[in-house]
Amino acid sequence: MFHHNRRTFLGHGLAGLGTTALSRLIAADSAHQRPSHPAKIKRVIHLCMAGGPSHLETLDYKPELAKLHGQAMPDSFTTGQQLAQLQGKALKCMGPQWEFAKHGKSGVEISEIFPNIAKHADKIAVIRSMHTEQINHDPAHTFMNTGSIIPGRPSMGSWVLYGLGSMSQNLPGYVVLTSVGGGQSQPIAARQWSSGFLPGHLQGVEFQSAGSPVHYVNNPAGITTGSQEDLIKTINEMNELKSQSAHHPDIKTRIEQYELAFRMQGAVPKLMDASGESKKTLEMYGCTPGDGSFASNCLLARRLAEKGVRFIQLYHRGWDHHGGIKNGTKATAKLVDQGTAALITDLDQRGLLDDTLIIWGGEFGRTPMAQGSGRDHHIKAFSIFCCGGGIKGGTTIGQTDELGYGIAENPVSVHDLHATMLHLLGVQHATLTFRSQGLDFKLTGVEPARVVKEMLA
Amino acid sequence: MKGKKIGTTRLDLAKWIASADNPLTARVFVNRVWAGLFGTGLSNNLGDFGYQGEYPSHPELLDWLAIDFIENNWSVKHLLRTILTSRTYLQSSTSTGNLIDCDPHNRLLARQSQIRLPAELVRDNALALSGLLDPTIGGPSVRPYQPKGYYRHLNFPRRTYAPSMDQGQYRRGLYTHWQRSFLHPMMKNFDAPAREECATSRSKSNTPLQALTLLNDPSFNEAARHLATQLLRESPDNLTQRAVLHCLSRSPSEEELKILNRFFTNEKKRFTENPELAQEFISIGHSRPTTDFPAPQLAATTSLARAILNLHETITRY
Repeated sequence: MFHHNRRTFLGHGLAGLGTTALSRLIAADSAHQRPSHPAKIKRVIHLCMAGGPSHLETLDYKPELAKLHGQAMPDSFTTGQQLAQLQGKALKCMGPQWEFAKHGKSGVEISEIFPNIAKHADKIAVIRSMHTEQINHDPAHTFMNTGSIIPGRPSMGSWVLYGLGSMSQNLPGYVVLTSVGGGQSQPIAARQWSSGFLPGHLQGVEFQSAGSPVHYVNNPAGITTGSQEDLIKTINEMNELKSQSAHHPDIKTRIEQYELAFRMQGAVPKLMDASGESKKTLEMYGCTPGDGSFASNCLLARRLAEKGVRFIQLYHRGWDHHGGIKNGTKATAKLVDQGTAALITDLDQRGLLDDTLIIWGGEFGRTPMAQGSGRDHHIKAFSIFCCGGGIKGGTTIGQTDELGYGIAENPVSVHDLHATMLHLLGVQHATLTFRSQGLDFKLTGVEPARVVKEMLA
Repeated sequence: MKGKKIGTTRLDLAKWIASADNPLTARVFVNRVWAGLFGTGLSNNLGDFGYQGEYPSHPELLDWLAIDFIENNWSVKHLLRTILTSRTYLQSSTSTGNLIDCDPHNRLLARQSQIRLPAELVRDNALALSGLLDPTIGGPSVRPYQPKGYYRHLNFPRRTYAPSMDQGQYRRGLYTHWQRSFLHPMMKNFDAPAREECATSRSKSNTPLQALTLLNDPSFNEAARHLATQLLRESPDNLTQRAVLHCLSRSPSEEELKILNRFFTNEKKRFTENPELAQEFISIGHSRPTTDFPAPQLAATTSLARAILNLHETITRY
């Protein structure tokens, strides 16, 4: 095993990171950040509602908007503002399409399309005052993931692994799963979980949500586990001999990666084998394990969390409701609501919720103005919720104006969200930096970012 | 361009870029060729010779090569010959540990660099060693085997992937179909860029996904079988010796022979006891296995070839 302490790490310099023994997808000892304060959580599960869920049909109830339904959107809101597909069109208000109710002891307002999430009202903190900088899906995801609108920066999962290291010996530290359904499914590029200029082994590894979760994880036909093990032993013995004459750290890394590959071949099928899950658990999620659904991915997320995966990202690509928003949000919610709620319950029952942060939300919101029967992209305000360790349940942070267009109170930027996530992980966002091209980059960028203390227990 | 009237057409721009008075173009080009041959450019930043770039390690050499390139009518062949016949290029890459310690990235060029082959060449190399490679130049893209369902999340419009069932399967990696942001997983695992933006250099990661690809991707297992077939056709004797010589251009040491032969013997035993596994293993890929040899013999030799195709040395330029 190669051990890199701080000194050898510095000695190798930046360019060396990609080619030295640090090039390990999994390295339980590779933390680059000493915790600046006690961590509340060990892992993050980001339930990314890709496409831009309407805050107005989910988490941000606007009765005033209902009163103006069908009438012209007041100019005072929209003059001079950037719009997406509605640019230059006549703007009419569209009232919330679903009823809201207060839930739990805390009375958090949640839409009727989320009957299961609503049962956890006292565990979640809703942020109604999120805002972003990008009005199209891909750049907005890029901003949400990397804190920058410029492609090529590391995603938050890679930053977390870079700072804290992985906790699993048999699985990658950052795993991504995707699902579709309920609305137009915009593509998601693998760039979203790229490690950017951070070492390549910190990138997210996309598991397939149906079939074999990792490409090439199964032995070739006719090859038994024993034969594969013997092969890897042979390859590594040969590589070890080569290492003695060729002196290159890459060969040592290669040896480790073959060992890890073999461990993954054993661990991944077990990960996917849900035969040990009780009937009750499966009913709670409402899925057949491995069916590729969001709920199945939620179940897998719990299993990944149990196995020590630090950053888990589930993309559900189904929230881009430019038309038919009433039925569309309901359809997508139906695919997402039960799995999300089951994941919270399941983690809670297993004592894992206390050291997990769940972030639920999309890359932007949708306009209070109608786009036919739907809503257009909207960046000035949207809603997300957080749940888990260190989160003050039953709270609602921030307010939008009476029509849900702009933020009236307590804006929370994407950088603030990142800062808060890192804070919960025991990392001060301002100190987690990486030098690339002469700049000390941070996930939270150069403008001030704050920890959203109101959301913390 | 001092004193000359500067035009504004694209032709003017092209002439300016390729002008002998403009050192930048030749410097950048020469630096990229150098990077291809040594792993790192004389300036490490291949894409930016401006303020964000890196001052070259050997500025006089870079300039000399650039001017020589221009004076020889921008002949790439001349440039390559100049570098390839230099003492610097011809150095050994398996130098002492001491040099690695004092110059880990070989910026001082006291040795040659060890370079892991780029994604396309990892594939080409295996196909070439097995005799499967179809060196045809040009034509439409081809489709190597790809894990099922990989395009599931691709839309606008939805697409399905059907692997080439003809010679196209064995064309160079250069001709692999590029699906933007859904790069072939083998290419992706070996750091081919997604072509979403221009990439002047690639990262050289070293991940378990690379190990899984070389171990389990049908392309590499089919190549291993063809390599085994070639070796057996030549002679059933000294297989290990000849396989190493063929793939690594050197003879194995006694110790290496021992390691490989132990594995080969184990595999022969395994496949002789389980001929049905042997048959499955040699049936990978769309080409039909030869029936000139008993299945267990072909399978065990394929295993041997598979071991050698997986070696770090096989995918590295020394």
